[in-house]
Amino acid sequence: MRGRRLARFILIRLFQAVPVVLGVVVLNFLLLQLAPGDAATVLAGEAGGAPPEYIEQLRARFGLDKPVLVQLALYLKNILFLDLGYSFRNSAPVLGLILDRLWPTLLLMGATLVISVGGGVLLGVAAALWVRTWRDHLISVAAVIAYATPLFWVGLMLILVFSIRLDWFPTSGMEDVVAFHEGWARVVDIAHHLVLPTITLSLFYLALYTRLMRATVLEQRGAEYATTARAKGLTERAITFRHVLRNALLPIVTMAGVQVGALLGGSIVVETVFAWPGLGQLAFQSLFARDFNLLLGIFFLSACLVVLVNILVDVVYVLLDPRIRVGDE
Amino acid sequence: MRLVKSLALFAGLGLSAAALLAGPASAQKRGGTLVQITQPEPPSLGSYISTANPVGQVASKIYDGLLEYDFNLKPLPSLAESWVVSEDGKTVTFKLRSGVKFHDGKPFTSADVQFTFMEVLKKVHPRGINTFSEVTAVDTPDPQTVVFRLNRPAPYMMAALSGYESPILPKHVFSQGDIRTHQNANTPIGTGPFKFVEWRRGEFVRLDRNADYWKPGKPYLDRIVVRFIGDTGTRAAALEKGEAHVAGFGAVPYNDVKKLEKLPNIRIETKGYEMLSPVVELMFNTKKPPFDNAKVRQAISYAIDRKFVIDNIWFGFGKPTNGPISSNFAPTGLYTADVTNYNVPDGVERANKLLDEAGFPRKADGTRFEITHDITPYGEEWRRFGEYTQQALAKIGIKASLRYEDVATWLKRIYTDYDYDVSSNHLFNLADPVLGVHRAFHSRFIRPGTVFVNGVRWSNPRADELMDRATIEPDAKKRAELYAEVQKIVVAEAPLAWTHEISFATVLDKRYRDVIVSPLGLFSSFDSAWRE
Repeated sequence: MRGRRLARFILIRLFQAVPVVLGVVVLNFLLLQLAPGDAATVLAGEAGGAPPEYIEQLRARFGLDKPVLVQLALYLKNILFLDLGYSFRNSAPVLGLILDRLWPTLLLMGATLVISVGGGVLLGVAAALWVRTWRDHLISVAAVIAYATPLFWVGLMLILVFSIRLDWFPTSGMEDVVAFHEGWARVVDIAHHLVLPTITLSLFYLALYTRLMRATVLEQRGAEYATTARAKGLTERAITFRHVLRNALLPIVTMAGVQVGALLGGSIVVETVFAWPGLGQLAFQSLFARDFNLLLGIFFLSACLVVLVNILVDVVYVLLDPRIRVGDE
Repeated sequence: MRLVKSLALFAGLGLSAAALLAGPASAQKRGGTLVQITQPEPPSLGSYISTANPVGQVASKIYDGLLEYDFNLKPLPSLAESWVVSEDGKTVTFKLRSGVKFHDGKPFTSADVQFTFMEVLKKVHPRGINTFSEVTAVDTPDPQTVVFRLNRPAPYMMAALSGYESPILPKHVFSQGDIRTHQNANTPIGTGPFKFVEWRRGEFVRLDRNADYWKPGKPYLDRIVVRFIGDTGTRAAALEKGEAHVAGFGAVPYNDVKKLEKLPNIRIETKGYEMLSPVVELMFNTKKPPFDNAKVRQAISYAIDRKFVIDNIWFGFGKPTNGPISSNFAPTGLYTADVTNYNVPDGVERANKLLDEAGFPRKADGTRFEITHDITPYGEEWRRFGEYTQQALAKIGIKASLRYEDVATWLKRIYTDYDYDVSSNHLFNLADPVLGVHRAFHSRFIRPGTVFVNGVRWSNPRADELMDRATIEPDAKKRAELYAEVQKIVVAEAPLAWTHEISFATVLDKRYRDVIVSPLGLFSSFDSAWRE
């Protein structure tokens, strides 16, 4: 019964997501029209002194000579068939370009989520259990520092210390381009390259989760159900891990849902510093090149991903807390 | 005793000098991977359709040209073994090298040359449309001969036949389908020393040694990997650690170049940009008062302290100048230093005097008039150059406010809307003034919407005529005289204020030798590069 209701809920949510995503596409399309200059200007600019015939040629090829609304209609029509168009700047279809970047992005995102959520929850619980001791103060102060330090600076410092001074990790990239390892050696090589960017990207959220977790655990431990459990004669250990933790995880799940969205765009800095071939850099470059087909494709994909993650978060709520019901009863 | 010692030292020095001179010729070793940093990542690898800088840095290893060039810009044989220019300059015959194969194993013939120039470069290459506009036909009497037929003589064409500027494409590949969206743009096939293997976007392009290359024994390297690293600090770190081995064109900012220079494993090279020759210029909107007045423009040119700019903003990597043609053209005779000299110690006084004469006296608050200065959006040094310009103008009573926009917005403002007062830029002279210099002030190049041309909208019939004559003048000496007069006129009239020639710095790992061996530097094939 519950399973069926959940499935129905997911279906309805997916159905509702369609107009949301389309709305995002239209809005993005119109917003991008406000940016001055177009792809033809930038391409010709890089060429250095192209004759006007060349620029007109480019505009006609890119379809930039048509009215904006016609361009929008064409784009929407294509999107409905999941055709994301062609990036003239990169001389390649948009979908392929995005998919190439998707797995490095997901890899970095996944590693970061695991480290920041896992580490944050552990540190937060620890700080709450040791509340108002020196250990709690140490964790809290470290969290504030991590929270306040700019990402690019952390990245560069990690490179300076762990790559150049200690020679433990490579400075940048996703794999060794002199050796070109294969098989398991390649997996190890990629993991080796993943360490510094993951740490850099995790720090901020690790600090956020630590603070959030500490606060909620403290709050929940004072709640009535905890007092009841205590009166029942349960140990503090059992109360914390069986009852409090489960309730305290709810805000973390909410936050993680937000983080996924932010990670898609917010990793631009880390991707740039560590030359990680992710979507953030691609989006950044295409904005400056006015490669709107590609940019819209990335926006479209991000919108889809955010919608999906939101549905997932709602489902996780239900699993964590049986009191939460989905859909109409 | 001391004498003996210094004699011995002298002899020792002499020996090691001899060893150094003789060394490279015999010591070249096969093998090794060279990691090159190119910034930003190229949008495509189709150097026949895009002349964007990063495209050339990669594609020049894959495609050969008909010719190569030495540091005096003199042509050398490449795919063309020899060539003859007819008396009237309207026929150029190339004898092609035989036995050359494309990377897919198909032979290279005159048909490929004909296709490349007539069907590709003349039609879709951003500069080729201009460079080869006089070419009416390319005849192929036999597989090893091509004859270029020109409408009028085009002496500059002979300087534009490198593998970077005019890459020779395989006809059997690129004649299939639309050249503008050809699938092989990003999987190039040429005759060059390195073959394209893989391009992983956002990471690297991998090029492997072409074992069948037509230069015996070359290339020496097994592989070139071109990496893309977005952050300047990380680029410097990768070079410092020896993960990457060569980077040029400002990929490493000058302040980092100065730091890297001190490391034992790094060498800095400023050669290898002679066929590009960027010259920095201040642009004046000459159709808009007060910049329609030559005295105002001259005054600003006098106000710029070239030495200060080079030493403090470009970290010493530059050379003061007054005119549009780079001193790299001195060996060809096209450059002259005999022009108005704005680089004088009393520049500020002269500038003030000129502005008084022009009818812009200082007001009660010490200013004469207010303008907006558009900073060139190309990074740190340009921003600082903009800030310096603001201060220099303040000294002569011109109050400038700064505006900073992204590249696309700025290009549109300067070259389409002409909605600016003063801005700065640097145009590449390229291989010949016809290709790189005319566009900045010839009135034929006042073309709204076309970037990097005559954005100052200046026109002078005499200068136009001289440039038109120099374009088709086959005699080198007469050409030099024409250009001498052009330089005199434009420098005196100052539609732009040329301030200095930029020297780019290439950062090199010392283990790699003979990397920069041509005036095209990073745009050359690296077939002689080797690893110790």
